Amino acid sequence: MKRATQSTETPQVGRSVPRLESWLKVTGRAEYVHNLRLPGMLYGKIFRSTVAHGRIRRIDVSAAQALPGVFKVVTSKEVREIVPDPYFGPAFHDQPILAIDKVRYVGEPVAVVLASDPHVAEEAVHLISAEYEELPAVYDEVEAMTSKAIVHDVLRPAGTFPDLKHLKDRKNTNLALDFRLRRGDAANAMKKADRVFEHRFSTQQVMHTPLEPLVSVAESTESSLTIHTASQSPSFVRIEIARLLGWPENKVRVRVPFLGGGFGAKLYIKLEALVSVLSLLAKRPVKISLTMEEQFFTITKHASTFRIKSGVSKDGRIVARECEVWWNGGAYADIGPRVTQKSGFTAPGPYDIEHVAVDSYALYTNLPPAGALRGFGIPQLVWAYEGHTDLMARELGLDPIEFRRRNLLREGRPQATGTVMKDAALEKVLERISVLMEWGKPFERGAGTVKKGRGIAIGFKACVSPTTSLAAVNVNADGSCIVYCSTADMGQGSDTAMAQIAGEVLHMAAESITVVHSDTDVTPYDMATLGSRSLFHMGNAVKLAAEDALNKLNVLRKELGLAADCPIPDIFKKKYGMQAGNVAGTGSYIPSYKSPDANGLTDNATPFWMVGASGVEIEVDTETGRVRLTRLVNVADVGTPINPKIVETQLSGAAIMQLGFTLHEKMVFDAQGQLRNASFAEYKIPGMLDLPASMVNEAVVAEQKSGPFGGKGVGETGTFGVSPAIANAIHDAVGVRLTSLPLNPESIWEKLK
Amino acid sequence: MKPFDLLQPGSLGEALSLLDVADARPFAGGTALMLMMKAGVLRPQRLVSLRNLRLDAIEANGSLRVGAMTTLRALERSEAVRNGWPVIARALRTLSNVRVRNVATVGGALAHADPHMDLPPLLSALGAQVVVAGKGGERRLPVEDLYAGYLENTLRNELITHVEIPALGKRGAAYLKCTTRSADDWPAVGVAVVLGSEERIFVSAATDRPVRIKDEAAIEALKIEGDLHGSADYKKHLLKVYLRRAIDEARNAVH
Amino acid sequence: MRREIQFQLNGRDVSAQVAPHESLVEVLQENFGLYGARESCGQGMCGCCTLMVNGTAVSGCLYLATLAEGARVDTIEGGAELDAVQQAFVESGAFQCGFCTPGFILMTRQLLDEQPDPDDHAIKHYLSGNLCRCAAYPEIIEAVKLAARKRRKQ
Repeated sequence: MKRATQSTETPQVGRSVPRLESWLKVTGRAEYVHNLRLPGMLYGKIFRSTVAHGRIRRIDVSAAQALPGVFKVVTSKEVREIVPDPYFGPAFHDQPILAIDKVRYVGEPVAVVLASDPHVAEEAVHLISAEYEELPAVYDEVEAMTSKAIVHDVLRPAGTFPDLKHLKDRKNTNLALDFRLRRGDAANAMKKADRVFEHRFSTQQVMHTPLEPLVSVAESTESSLTIHTASQSPSFVRIEIARLLGWPENKVRVRVPFLGGGFGAKLYIKLEALVSVLSLLAKRPVKISLTMEEQFFTITKHASTFRIKSGVSKDGRIVARECEVWWNGGAYADIGPRVTQKSGFTAPGPYDIEHVAVDSYALYTNLPPAGALRGFGIPQLVWAYEGHTDLMARELGLDPIEFRRRNLLREGRPQATGTVMKDAALEKVLERISVLMEWGKPFERGAGTVKKGRGIAIGFKACVSPTTSLAAVNVNADGSCIVYCSTADMGQGSDTAMAQIAGEVLHMAAESITVVHSDTDVTPYDMATLGSRSLFHMGNAVKLAAEDALNKLNVLRKELGLAADCPIPDIFKKKYGMQAGNVAGTGSYIPSYKSPDANGLTDNATPFWMVGASGVEIEVDTETGRVRLTRLVNVADVGTPINPKIVETQLSGAAIMQLGFTLHEKMVFDAQGQLRNASFAEYKIPGMLDLPASMVNEAVVAEQKSGPFGGKGVGETGTFGVSPAIANAIHDAVGVRLTSLPLNPESIWEKLK
Repeated sequence: MKPFDLLQPGSLGEALSLLDVADARPFAGGTALMLMMKAGVLRPQRLVSLRNLRLDAIEANGSLRVGAMTTLRALERSEAVRNGWPVIARALRTLSNVRVRNVATVGGALAHADPHMDLPPLLSALGAQVVVAGKGGERRLPVEDLYAGYLENTLRNELITHVEIPALGKRGAAYLKCTTRSADDWPAVGVAVVLGSEERIFVSAATDRPVRIKDEAAIEALKIEGDLHGSADYKKHLLKVYLRRAIDEARNAVH
Repeated sequence: MRREIQFQLNGRDVSAQVAPHESLVEVLQENFGLYGARESCGQGMCGCCTLMVNGTAVSGCLYLATLAEGARVDTIEGGAELDAVQQAFVESGAFQCGFCTPGFILMTRQLLDEQPDPDDHAIKHYLSGNLCRCAAYPEIIEAVKLAARKRRKQ
């Protein structure tokens, strides 16, 4: 096996280094928790609620318990022997490890069967029966605001987020958070505007469906726990499990190998609390591995309704905007309140508007919980504001790109929160998409039954803040390097990126560097791998750690009277008399941040912005409403790409995923809140044949000055503009405006006939 | 999955008698069956595999005689089929995926009675018949007579042993289906057309079994149910559009 | 009721005790520690469970292990070195999380065995039964074409 040379003058960033784990992935040997088996391990299979809202009258597990091969059947009664107050969640402690007294959505976990044969466990689940006193249920987010069907008898904010404190002990409401932003006087400015436009948009509930379904394994001693879990947030898992058990953090160990996809599904607590409690009860390792179907009952993406109103002056300038967004959070809050707030403040879009009012509401409903999904609320917002933008442009007789040009935020101008735009290449991205789409050229729409159309859209996102990342870098006695960080590589290439950053500092080839995967006994604290934050935050931490190691080596050289360019192995030989020892560097990064005031305003809302635009050319078969994408162009500001190839695939991957959410995917429920399509046979994600005929993905030349070597995140950027660009293109082609997702042929046909 | 017995008889007679108990199911390729068993929809005590019955020959002698255990992939790649019945080879190319076609069988595909499937309407339009074996002996019936309703066939403790498809000759033929979500999806509607002295048109996916129609006007009278792929109204409309397109394609088919 | 079956696994003669309801994926994982084929969708639609039985690609999660008796089973773990397809996937960066990758590689090998020089259209059709949620599809298409070129050189 060839080993890459360690010391090198070749720059490591800006190189399309092949992913470090390539060999493992193409030989099927990459480690996933999906594959983990431990001696004596029990499998857990979950018995789930069949009603959307009800009080639990009775659970009968006797027949299940009696099935030969069943080790134990567990309900919330046994859970409370281990954890007296078994409610978890990042924003609200509202989610019980197993249902207590009530069930709040169809599919909610009520009991678990443990057996060493998973088939036996599954058979036993069929033998459990439960009786519920059904309660009225609510499914729509706008309705939930005023509905008499109340999902939670009392609100229980976690205390982790200060802006939720005022909600503690509130009753008789489904409103989990109301984020409010007021800048200037939108109501008044609207009255004075020359034109006023108002539209309403909505999006559907969908699911991430990572191909490695959610899975966790716990093994325990009487005073310690090791959780092997497919998680994007190992540090959070440790803290939350320790909190639930009343243990110190150092007695809970969380290990994360590779993730078979994450996309936001594998965050905070999903199965970890359950397997931990089960392992402590059974005194044996316990694994719960969800089926693809069960994932739909675990975590999803918020459906939403967005009412957007703009006042526009004669010369096409938006002078006022009102945004009202209802987020369908499902039965448990998960990270919904964060979506509501952190995305909520960008609801007005990347536009320079003096008077802004935003009301963003997180609602509880009796549906499977919604949480973080690639984009974290941004795609839903861009869907609305970029459809709204195009509609206004049409009404005003303005070219869609020209209208955007007149209103786009520029460097140095304040965004709705008051934070001044910095290193957000909005203008560049807009101009580039215009060039790539040949927007200035006339476009043939066709005369027959197949009509052509084109559309563009631009969106942006503020990276969630404030968050913390720490990293450690070890230089060994032979000069080889190890990076320790709790960032989870779920396919976005984080291992490779971190190695490149460390390599750049230490003048070592990225391929020669070992990256140690999340293990909270070893790798330091990280907020989580989410929201495209890792390249920036963990990248900065790794850079600092590598610089710290480099500095220590230089200090050693001086102390030992060695030359400034003395090779690293010689330093150790001199210090320890042989090949021994190591130098450890550490780095910690948290960006500056200012909490918003009561009006949602702050001059330091985010450490960096993501900017993404999409352009599409389509064909519409007017006889059937079917849409064919002939061209999809994605342009983004990703700062300076650390790994250009990976950047391109992240833009492409995100955009194709968003195609699924735009055209094919929707969780469909019946009137009783039962999900009708929880499988790939009936929930259709994009396949090879769904690719646009041609795709272009480009990062504009840009620099994030506060990012590691000018870089920043890219994982979500490709999702922003896809949906509205397609709706805008459909409008362009056949004059039909669709305002809710997914865009299916029937809805187009309905409007055409 | 509930545990079951898996038996692998070596003769048709043996298979038939092993199936003559309650809760026994024949197992051909097993793709559709396994799906339903994993979903808990079917919980048989006994599966009787048909793989050792040597029913996998393709004979072309003017007409086509296909053993029921012939895999869809073998049918798709058969020279005889490509030359004599190109419409079948074309339809198979977009039937599910290669792995499924490697294992799924013609007999299984016909017996499953899922109205969304491609072969039932196409073979019905081609005037195909199935040879069916039971305790009482052998009988023949047109493919379209296999269906009683959604996932319900008309077999009574019988097994399909062969499918016989008359020569296509110079007749134009086409099978079109319309998917409304991702490209690889169950269709919202399917239309199979075979032209000639007698026009044979069968529609599928919009009704609970393939239905023969005379012309576009007959579509109005169909009992159509909406589902995740489209409402009843939309499916009715799609049937009209795809009927026109299938007839056009059949007219232009050159072989 | 467990029964011993014998078959060939990656070129070696092996045996295993299997129950009728166990799938080939389960048996390969439980008995042989081979995890390259994984059950994901459970319905044969995603291809993560792709296995070769008698040289033919099947969905291992729907394939009863008992029926592999006497057969030749090949998995992604077979083979001492990276072949042209695996090398092409590495060079093209044709994967992200890697969960679907073994399935794509096995299908690509079979595709190129049948069609040594497929165009984009043929590739998309052949691989339409393999899903990648990370959507590395464009890179996979490039990898297939690169693999075809590499094979021609060999």
